[in-house]
Amino acid sequence: MKPLVVIGGGPAGYVAAITAARQGKQVTLIEQKDLGGTCLNEGCMPTKSLLASAEAYEKIKKAEQFGITIPLEQVKINWDGVQHHKTTIVKNLVRGIGYLMKKNSIKVIKGEASFLTNHRLSVRNENHVEEIEAEQFIIAAGSEPASLPFAPFDGKWIIHSKQAMSLPAIPSTLLIVGGGVIGCEFASIYSQMGTTVTIVEAADQLLPGEDADIAFTLQEELEKKGVAIYTSSSLTEMQPEDKTALFKHKEELHELQAEYALISIGRKPRVLGLGLEQVGVHFSKQGIDVNEHMQTNIPNIYACGDVVGGIQLAHVAFHEGTVAALHACGKDKSVNYRAVPRCIYTHPEIASVGMTEKQARSEYGDIRVGEFSFTANGKAMIANESVGKVKVIVEPQFNEIIGLSIVGSHATELIGQGTIMMHGELTTDIMEDFIAAHPTLSEAIHEALLQSAGQAVHS
Amino acid sequence: MAAEVVMPKLGMAMKEGTVSTWNKKVGDSVSKGDMIASINSEKIEMDIEAPQDGVILDILVQEDVGVPPGTIICYVGKPNEQLTEQNRSANELQAPKNEVAAAISLEEPPANTASSKKNKETVRISPIARKIAESENINIETIQGTGPKGRITKADVEKVLAERASESSPQTVERDNPAINKETLPVAGMRKVIASRMHNSLLNSAQLTINMKADVTDLLSLQREIKDVTQQRHKVKISLTDFIARAVVLSLQEHKQMNSAYIDNEIQLYNHVHLGMAVALENGLVVPVMQHAEKMSLVELATEIKTRAADARQGQLSTDRMQGSTFTITNLGAYGVEYFTPVLNPPETGILGVGATEDVPMYKGDELQKRNLLPLSLTFDHRVLDGAPAANFLGTIKQYLEQPILLLL
Repeated sequence: MKPLVVIGGGPAGYVAAITAARQGKQVTLIEQKDLGGTCLNEGCMPTKSLLASAEAYEKIKKAEQFGITIPLEQVKINWDGVQHHKTTIVKNLVRGIGYLMKKNSIKVIKGEASFLTNHRLSVRNENHVEEIEAEQFIIAAGSEPASLPFAPFDGKWIIHSKQAMSLPAIPSTLLIVGGGVIGCEFASIYSQMGTTVTIVEAADQLLPGEDADIAFTLQEELEKKGVAIYTSSSLTEMQPEDKTALFKHKEELHELQAEYALISIGRKPRVLGLGLEQVGVHFSKQGIDVNEHMQTNIPNIYACGDVVGGIQLAHVAFHEGTVAALHACGKDKSVNYRAVPRCIYTHPEIASVGMTEKQARSEYGDIRVGEFSFTANGKAMIANESVGKVKVIVEPQFNEIIGLSIVGSHATELIGQGTIMMHGELTTDIMEDFIAAHPTLSEAIHEALLQSAGQAVHS
Repeated sequence: MAAEVVMPKLGMAMKEGTVSTWNKKVGDSVSKGDMIASINSEKIEMDIEAPQDGVILDILVQEDVGVPPGTIICYVGKPNEQLTEQNRSANELQAPKNEVAAAISLEEPPANTASSKKNKETVRISPIARKIAESENINIETIQGTGPKGRITKADVEKVLAERASESSPQTVERDNPAINKETLPVAGMRKVIASRMHNSLLNSAQLTINMKADVTDLLSLQREIKDVTQQRHKVKISLTDFIARAVVLSLQEHKQMNSAYIDNEIQLYNHVHLGMAVALENGLVVPVMQHAEKMSLVELATEIKTRAADARQGQLSTDRMQGSTFTITNLGAYGVEYFTPVLNPPETGILGVGATEDVPMYKGDELQKRNLLPLSLTFDHRVLDGAPAANFLGTIKQYLEQPILLLL
């Protein structure tokens, strides 16, 4: 058995470790904090738990619409209870990863790893340092929140996403700098919990990677919940002493006081402290350079997940971790980013796969777009969730489905269908006589496909 | 009721046939037996006859379009007869029509075939990859798929297109250069069939070639001795090729593994020897088959070979005389070739290449003699058998050729 060391126990790291172990490698995993990485401990999972609480609260408040009368003045959020639900979930999930490590005979060492040579690492754990030798390494060190150059995180007022999910109480006011995925998710959570939220975003729309019309649907819904949104705006000054931020919007200077200022302007790969310079692994601020097999310029060292930059999503990390491990075990495996779904857990949810309309137009010129609104979907109407739509992007020569965007209830579950279509490289003519179950939200996808061919029935 | 005319199945491994020419068009009236189209497949061109009197109601397969056997290519019916939906949908179902309306006898699988399973290899390909390949006229069977289980993806097709573009770019240079004059020949008809079969052969088997020399000095003197006798008694001149064919037939019976085919992940061993002999034509080549060569004497085999080769050269070889071979011999000796690398004739396991004899000085004991050596090249499928048994087979042929009296018995 040839020893392989994985640095980092997040989605990329633990999947790489399990994959390599199943291929017969003797695997050691080094993690400085808890197994599960950002996803389980401070990202995907805890925020979804908070969102579930916020949505339960929202649903209860709307009970009257379904003919259920509740004394609303008695409905309250028990913030400790919300936090308890979150920590219980996280604890169980982390325990699950620990179990998987044991089951696959993976040795887990707590500590910070740093390369000494391309076959040797030092692992520092409090006051103890040990050296580990291995034949191959997979770096999955992850990423951390990027801070504003002029206003570093202080944990008291200027906070990052990890801190924002464990606040001592629901804040009355919250400033969110950066209207990307993380910013919008927190805006959705806290606005539903009663916080007055303000978003300041530099781009001309929320969620700059998504289509403007899709993002605008979310913007309108957030605004209905009292969120103030300033796009094309730049932050000029942060004054922690009086918890006031200054930002410029349409040439006008605004002043805003808020209990907390959440900075969500992106995440930066953790490339420092790993001793990469020591062994000559090529990297930049954007991440470690890798080829399509997730191999660095040093052939026995691989890197995957957020630390290589690119698409920083847990499910991409799973894929990259698998590819890195299999290639390290001698399999001819390359990454395939053809159909990576993007999910934004807001209310309403946004999910997309493939190209946006804007990208498709610049790539293909003439494209066909099919849309179907949830206002015409029975299942959405019944749930009082008729906000949103499905948009499908079709390349006109071969009718290839090249993009699908959904904004609306359960969008993140629905996108799986689009991901299958894109992964299977389907064309719209193959979907024409497809039978969608009725009544379901999924019917909207089929209708949008039909509409792209001018055959929609219910619009 | 309109009669369906379908693409006949002309060989066990036939996957596709092409209408090379339509002699009739929609609306033309035909009488039963009229030649309505020429088709080609495998190494065969053949005519399709009208199954009944009537008019051509519809043509479903255009010229130069390859379709699987069983596909309806046209309808013959009464003038103004409407085709029913049933007629129409039949083709979509792709149900192989064994009751071919065209007056063609379908090939039965060889009598001793261990399994009658049809070779229904399908190509795994994504819908968009298929559409792009079709529009760019790329044969999907030639694309290397990189998806799950070799599924051909869009990227794989795009790679072929990119390669094609980079291959064609030097031609642009050529076109701009008046000094380079070239001629382009279309790959059609028999050329297309040979191109596809030979390419598939190399793609789908693990073939390699081994060589051996046989001392045919004694055989050549025997040939001279019996020449006049056979000429007078049997009206046939026995050539070196005939002797080699006889030696191969006898050797195949001793080495069954070589008299076999690799079909659907099964090795089918045959008790009968249907011997294929490659015959060069002006525009290609055909392989007439000597059926049940194991039951023929040397003289009978020689007569059969001469008759079939003559038929082939005159284009009069019937389809059933071109299929079912279990082993093939190809002879380039007349062209002065010594050793070469014959390409297997799928799904066969072996093919023997015969070269030109050469006079060489050779020690027989202490005495230097002039001997005639015959170079033999055996290509075999390593999936079916390994080097040692293949070498043994070739050694057996050599033995027969070196003790030619055995060939007469």
